[in-house]
Amino acid sequence: MRILLVEDEAHLREQVQEQLQRQNLTIDTAADGEEGLYLGTEYTYDVGIIDLGLPKLDGIDLIKQLRDEGKDFPILILTARGRWQDKVEGLEAGADDYLVKPFHFEELSARINALARRASGWSSPIIECGNIALNPTTQDVTSNGNPIDLTGYEYRMLHYMMLHAGKVLSKTELVDHIYEMDNDRDSNVIEVFIKRLRSKLDPDKTLNPIETLRGRGYRLTLPRAE
Amino acid sequence: MLNRKLSLSKRLFFAATIVLTAFLGLSAFSLNNAFLASADSSQKQRLKNYVYSLLTAAEFNAGGVAVDSSNLAEPRFSTPNSGLYAQITSGNDIVWQSDSVLGQFIALPAHPEPSEEIWSEFELHSGEAFINLAFGIVWENQQGEEFQYTINVSEDLTTLNEQKANFQRNLWYWLGGTGLMLLIVQAFILRWGLRPLYSVADDLTAIESGKSSRLAGNYPAELTQLTDNINTLLDHEETRRVRYKNSLSDLAHSLKTPLAVFRGEVENSHDLEAIQKTAHEQLDRITSLVNYQLQRAATEGKSSLLAPVSLASIIHKIVSSLDKVYQSKQIHSRCEIERDVHIHADEGDMYELLGNLIENAYKYCNSEVTVALFVHPHRIEIRVYDDGNGIPETARSEITKRGKRIDTQEEGQGLGLAIVSDIIEAYQGEISVRASHLGGACFIVELPNH
Repeated sequence: MRILLVEDEAHLREQVQEQLQRQNLTIDTAADGEEGLYLGTEYTYDVGIIDLGLPKLDGIDLIKQLRDEGKDFPILILTARGRWQDKVEGLEAGADDYLVKPFHFEELSARINALARRASGWSSPIIECGNIALNPTTQDVTSNGNPIDLTGYEYRMLHYMMLHAGKVLSKTELVDHIYEMDNDRDSNVIEVFIKRLRSKLDPDKTLNPIETLRGRGYRLTLPRAE
Repeated sequence: MLNRKLSLSKRLFFAATIVLTAFLGLSAFSLNNAFLASADSSQKQRLKNYVYSLLTAAEFNAGGVAVDSSNLAEPRFSTPNSGLYAQITSGNDIVWQSDSVLGQFIALPAHPEPSEEIWSEFELHSGEAFINLAFGIVWENQQGEEFQYTINVSEDLTTLNEQKANFQRNLWYWLGGTGLMLLIVQAFILRWGLRPLYSVADDLTAIESGKSSRLAGNYPAELTQLTDNINTLLDHEETRRVRYKNSLSDLAHSLKTPLAVFRGEVENSHDLEAIQKTAHEQLDRITSLVNYQLQRAATEGKSSLLAPVSLASIIHKIVSSLDKVYQSKQIHSRCEIERDVHIHADEGDMYELLGNLIENAYKYCNSEVTVALFVHPHRIEIRVYDDGNGIPETARSEITKRGKRIDTQEEGQGLGLAIVSDIIEAYQGEISVRASHLGGACFIVELPNH
């Protein structure tokens, strides 16, 4: 799951980035509104976190311009003032939720996960497909209740595939949503991850949890639990 | 200001001066004209009368004309150089001249047809100017022969011109004097009329320098609207200043408790986890305190000078925003608004009041929230219903207690209601809680509306 964070306060930006990365979320950061607009229109994101008081391009205007560009990923606004007028203005501009500074990191993480789930049609905080359950808060993945040990990128990929269970996902899309923009992007790695996921999720090779659609991509075949 | 507007007294003074000058000038012009016209016409009338009296006194016969001077009522005809002269000519011959002529002038050249008048002005070598009326007559003798004569009557213009000059001089003296007097009177009227404005300005200076706190003078009716508004503004500012001061000192005081707790923990405990836990708790507390006092300081409060804001549009905006935020809770929200109402309040305050109140309902409801707005003659009632667990009767009065400082509140109570209560207090409103027909709580806010 890839997240865009636009925050001008360097200290806070780095803290949030670090903590979100620790949760195995892919995160790109921008220090001002214009950079945020560039990233937001150039790349695809699952959630945006946008501070309202930004240099160069105000948070409200950034949200409006992103929405005008047809970008419909959920956006969480951060506001220091916490005034209702600002919140309402931000939500009217196209944001989906707000958080007032200072905030608990757990709260931010919960809001981001909730927005991502909501956007892909999930309502419970734990994502379940077939016998596999994923908890974005703790990053625990279980199969029939037994924990599965995944590497960071394996987790990122499974998280994204489970959010979009049943949908065909191309290699490019998978690369886009698990790697930060500065990373070397090698779509061949995807095949390796898929292979490893298959063996970890289905060691007995009975379920075929991920199917390959030649030339189109991959699909998680496990049924959504809800 | 680059282009300072002309002062009121200057405006009035200039305008009145221009009007006065124009009025006096036009009066002088028309009076002068009227006098000249009437002087001229009376002069002409006089000459005509002389002609008629000459006709009466003259006796025409074949040999000429005989005038019985004693029949002429005007003695000036007999006094040499009197300035009034008469001459009767027949063709270019002088038939008769009054005694006053004394060889001064030769036969006058005008020969009007019988009963015709010819007016002319001429000047003698001596420089005297005359106006002359020549009147043609015809005399028929018993044989039926006709003789044409011209009667000339001339009068010296010096007297008339002197009269005119005299009149004009008098006219200018009088009008000038009147004008000057009016200007002086006008200056006094202006000073008197504008004095209340100067006194307001003085009173404002006194307020500025701290000698006085309001406009307390007795002002004329036209100014009371202005001075009342200034007083309202001053009172409003004063309330706000007090609120700022209070929230600042409240903030400083209330921060001391969490800081003391934190310090105690750091000094006495060697357990890092315990210190971290205390730090978290106290940081949260400090955050709430700062948020709350900041909001309190920012509250504008009631003032009739604020532009009216639409409550319905704020309610709709907040409800649609919250619908978005609480989307996953699948709340069924309803707005019951019979008609919109605009109240003189700060928009930010109303957003804060309604936002906190309605969000509370969204937070604690199960699936239903209703916001209703009622407009009564002198007050506005806002009701927010939810279907949550409700608030026990014993806690109801506690929750809406006014002026309750946040640091004395129980843990777990949000900031929201404290802020709501403070704003309602600033607008001299009321808040109460009762059971909702939806099953949960119903918050009732009443605000005065004038």
